Amino acid sequence: MRNNYLVRALTRANSQTRTSQPARSLCSSASSADVALKNVTRSNFEVVLAELRRHVREADFVSIDLEMTGITSAPWRESFEFDRPDIQYLKVKDSAHKFAVVQFGVCPFRWDPHTTSFVANPHNFYIFPRQEITSDGVSYDFLCQTSSLEFLAKYQFDFNTCINEGISYLSRSQEEEALKRLDLVYKDELPDLSSNLRNGSDMQLVRMADILFAERMKNVVGEWRAGLLRSGNWGAESQGSWNDMNQKFQTTFYQTRPALEVNGLTSRQLKIIKSVTEKHFKDLAYVHVTGETSCRQPLIVYTDSTEDRELLKREVKACQRKTAELSIQAAIGFRHVIDLLSSERKLIVGHNCFLDIAHVYSKFIGPLPSTAEEFASAVRTYFPNIIDTKVLLNSDYTLLRIMKKGSTSLSKAFGLLCLLPVTLTSISTGVADKLRMKVEVQVDEQRFSNWNSGAKHEAGYDAFMTGCVFSHACSHLGIDFNSPAPGVDLLQNEKLQMYINHLYLSWVNGDTLDLKTGKSSSAGSSGSTMAKHWRTKFTFSNMILLWRLPAKLKAKDIRDCFSKAFGSGSVISVHHLDETAALVQFSKPELVSGFLELKDSLERENSPISVLHPLSTILETGRVRAATYEAYNEVCSSPLSEVLFSDQAEKIGVDGKAGLVKPSIDVDEDDDLYPSEAQLSR
Amino acid sequence: MHFRRYLCTQTAAGNRRRHQWPVKKVIKSNFTQALAEIKDSIFNSDFVAISLQKTGGYSAPWQKILPIDTAETAYLKAKRAAERFQIFQFSVCPFSVKASKLIAHPYNFQLFPRDEFRVGMPSYSFSCQPSYLTSMAQEGFDFNACIYNGISYMSRVQESAGKVQRGNVLLNSCSLQSPSAFSVADSIFMERIKTRVKNWMNDCNDLHDKTEDSLINSLRKLVSRSEVYGSRPSLTIDVCSERQVQLTLEALKEFVNIVLLQAPAKAGVEAVQVILTSSEEDKNLLVKEFQDLEEEHGRVVRGFREVIDLISTSQRPVVVHNSLNDFAFIHSKFLAPLPLTMDEFSSSLLSVFPHILDVNHLMKEIGSFDKMNNLSSAISYLDRRFFASIDMEVSNQEETDRGNVHGHNVLRVCQLFVKLCSALKISVEIPEGGHTQLSAFLQRYSNMFCSSDATDPVNDDVRIWTGKSRTVRVNNLVFLWGFKGGISAQDLKDALCNSHEVFSDEFDVKMVDRTCAIVVFWTPGISESFLKIMDSGELLSSKLEDMVSEGLKAADYETYRRVCESGLWKPDLTECLDRAADETDILSGDRAQQEQSIICWNSDEMINLDEL
Repeated sequence: MRNNYLVRALTRANSQTRTSQPARSLCSSASSADVALKNVTRSNFEVVLAELRRHVREADFVSIDLEMTGITSAPWRESFEFDRPDIQYLKVKDSAHKFAVVQFGVCPFRWDPHTTSFVANPHNFYIFPRQEITSDGVSYDFLCQTSSLEFLAKYQFDFNTCINEGISYLSRSQEEEALKRLDLVYKDELPDLSSNLRNGSDMQLVRMADILFAERMKNVVGEWRAGLLRSGNWGAESQGSWNDMNQKFQTTFYQTRPALEVNGLTSRQLKIIKSVTEKHFKDLAYVHVTGETSCRQPLIVYTDSTEDRELLKREVKACQRKTAELSIQAAIGFRHVIDLLSSERKLIVGHNCFLDIAHVYSKFIGPLPSTAEEFASAVRTYFPNIIDTKVLLNSDYTLLRIMKKGSTSLSKAFGLLCLLPVTLTSISTGVADKLRMKVEVQVDEQRFSNWNSGAKHEAGYDAFMTGCVFSHACSHLGIDFNSPAPGVDLLQNEKLQMYINHLYLSWVNGDTLDLKTGKSSSAGSSGSTMAKHWRTKFTFSNMILLWRLPAKLKAKDIRDCFSKAFGSGSVISVHHLDETAALVQFSKPELVSGFLELKDSLERENSPISVLHPLSTILETGRVRAATYEAYNEVCSSPLSEVLFSDQAEKIGVDGKAGLVKPSIDVDEDDDLYPSEAQLSR
Repeated sequence: MHFRRYLCTQTAAGNRRRHQWPVKKVIKSNFTQALAEIKDSIFNSDFVAISLQKTGGYSAPWQKILPIDTAETAYLKAKRAAERFQIFQFSVCPFSVKASKLIAHPYNFQLFPRDEFRVGMPSYSFSCQPSYLTSMAQEGFDFNACIYNGISYMSRVQESAGKVQRGNVLLNSCSLQSPSAFSVADSIFMERIKTRVKNWMNDCNDLHDKTEDSLINSLRKLVSRSEVYGSRPSLTIDVCSERQVQLTLEALKEFVNIVLLQAPAKAGVEAVQVILTSSEEDKNLLVKEFQDLEEEHGRVVRGFREVIDLISTSQRPVVVHNSLNDFAFIHSKFLAPLPLTMDEFSSSLLSVFPHILDVNHLMKEIGSFDKMNNLSSAISYLDRRFFASIDMEVSNQEETDRGNVHGHNVLRVCQLFVKLCSALKISVEIPEGGHTQLSAFLQRYSNMFCSSDATDPVNDDVRIWTGKSRTVRVNNLVFLWGFKGGISAQDLKDALCNSHEVFSDEFDVKMVDRTCAIVVFWTPGISESFLKIMDSGELLSSKLEDMVSEGLKAADYETYRRVCESGLWKPDLTECLDRAADETDILSGDRAQQEQSIICWNSDEMINLDEL
């Protein structure tokens, strides 16, 4: 671990020397230091959480970033440009459901009017889904994508710390469910009691050893009870000698009642003691209590009367319930951080963060809803304000120019916006000093104006970079943090309004989801500048899905084949999902049903005509299946993840004919959702 | 998990007493060297013990191999686990017994399914069970070493799928069948190639005599596409199909001193590289060089599987603690995808590993071991009952990470095996040269796959455990679900007891998971009538009717078997049963009834609700 850290620090230092020239010109004070990222594990979680509460309360916004054990559970689950928004959501849902989060970066940013700079408090939480309490229906395991682990390993992610020391968590729904189960266990006392009694007496002693043991216990307990009653004042000296004789039994008190503590016996012996006590001593009760050491301790308690006995049972039950509740409380773990972010209702900033938010929801709130619309409204109740810096960078002309219209990856944006010498940016924008945004970093009450110690792809450092990018982007948008009013209300700022709660559903085709309305919009229709990047060219109702395709059949072969059968120009495009499946887009919606019917009849006849038919290249094996685009949705919504698309479709038993009647309805819906598409297809 | 923790403390305590066993830790960097060493060790030893550290075992409580499983369903569960989870550490320990002394050579190989060739193999993704990882962590397992530097591998089937881009392929030796007929175009193509190569060879020979201006020299090279391969001149001929490769070969047959290579295709462009050698010996030298390269490449592709192949070719008996689970993993990761049935699995496996000795099975021979499926407790039990002290000599002199208690399991397997054999009076000292023949007695025990729990019928009273176990035919079992959540088996039994007359005879109820119970009817035939009543809805008593209206459902064992077979592994068994039961109605039970399926019913051994 030590070594790893060193390596990381070194690589950091190296990369820093490369960028140090521009970086230094940015910082005003000379103090620069390589301070380790604030790593948070089980051991320091409580302390850090207390500090974090204060930081978040004072913060103007909080940036987050997550590291996961994987992104896609099968190659065909990757995001494609021909994915309809509902399918994009299903793919994200699948990913968030199956993979684990191993690191969570949280970085509150606070505007400090005295130094006119932002103060950032980056935190790097190691988390691990250690199941502290078991719960139903939640799967026992999580998935790892081999390539993602390799990626993490490349950036020296410390798996040992994560597994040994990672903070565990419990989602809200898991907690609710656990509490509900407690209710079930501790609710109906009376029937439970009676059955306990009966069970005890039911126990049959067959073996000689058991019978002898039971007899001896009867004597021991009876003697102890007699001793109690004889001496009257529970502290007679005879007690002492009695204890010596039986080291396994000790007289104590349970809530002012005299009790016999039983130690070092096997569970079977305890069962016998229980049965003996209940059978032969009406005024003794055998109970398990939870002491301060929180391990269950068997006791035989003396009770004055039946009422007292019932009272005791209730007390013990209440006590047990209390401890169970406490252990559920303790298991909440990292979710306290999420609850904090949610309850403070701060602006959450992430970079390309739709998947991150989906993970947050599925890990800490509850199972993901089945549609993007429901998801949007559910998220809104917990996190009313989210900003995606990737959307921000791609929507504003000024920012796009700074980004040189190139990639908007986090590290590049950070490099261009936050590290470039001021002179360069000021020339291009014409406003010099105003744009200079200072970010100071605070780690453990120390402040650094130039902080560079976090490693790339370490969630805490990535969260920090995201926040920096956001603050610089804000100043480029002309948001003045130095306004006379103390503290800028970012949430009310009109310049930011149009970006808040817009997230990329999928970066590949630029579709965004508006969390306020729950509507997804394709790239062309919203956001003026984005239109140039993407052109919507898919009419989903004109598409068919083919699977179990012959190996090595290229897209061109498929297109040729269809052109021969339906005329040139009948096929607009062919897209492979993987080597076994493809989507074919026809020029007219009628061709979809036309093809499906033709395929059916060709396969039924198996006459010379069908052999000579141009489609036979594709259908010759008789294995190929076809269906409308809706089947793609069905395949994606299945919880299974076979590596090959065909295997998946077969396993869940997608019916090739399904959706044949649907298209007419779907066309309406699609037109409604994608106005741009209707124009294009005309 | 309870048992794991127990194991862990045991070993920690045990280690202080015993000596620190040096176990060689093998990662990517020292793999080649270790491979040579272990090859010697395997061939010089009489047995090979193996033990695996996996990332998990099951995704839900009911997916564990349970006492209610028959051999077939147990296999299906093992198959599921093997396909989902990963091996992080593979321990191999070749050992022999000489003069009552156990001589062991333990190695711990760290594995990680790294996609070395960017082909999505050996494994696109895998699952982890947090509890497994946590207990590995407690034993000091180094996950960083494993993920950063673990050895990758590829199964036999994956390797032969041929997706891995090979390096240069030697064309001289491989016998591509020459095209039967040549068209005019073919002949022209061949003539052109021939002339080109002839000219180039002449040029090369001329060049030895002339010294030329460097500019002209490089221009000439550019025009003729002549390059240098090592110290030898070479020429690249672009081809555009497999047929043209054959034609090129055919055309160049007459040239003796050239070596032909097929370079890896880049973006669809194929090429044949011609290398000129100076003599026959030089040619042979070069060919040998390429063969070595290919060999080396193959070694990298196979990775850890080399060790598996070594064990297999050595034909040594393989000693393992939990053969069904471990060999399901080995089969799926290193040989081929797992077949659908147990029979296919064992025949496929035995063709690779002819002698498999399951320590668990040997323990049953001593009797009394169902509860002892944990290595340390089994060893200490044996120590108590039999006086069989075994000296162990661990021959690795390497420094190892001391203080780590993980990775000693394989040594414990060896120890347990030798102790068991001595208790059973089986000789494991194999005389020199007698390797391939197992002693007749051991032969009897080999290749019995037993899951740790699906036991064969044994007398009740020899069990050291208190529970009585009885065998029961699976058609006397009925799965029940749809009752109130959180109910205990006893309460359910009570509720059933008075509900209908079919429950007037002796029966038992156990919980399989939280939402599903299994009922065993001790009187044959009653289960059928109960199912019929549930099915038809007739003859329901009022109490049972109430329960049914609240959602109570029942299914036979066949439904459960189909659940295991279908690959529908949902977290709750009830969901799977529900779905499978629906399908039964459609199938209308045309399936032939199961052969003699019995399981062992042990009243103690079922899942305890409190443990869940």
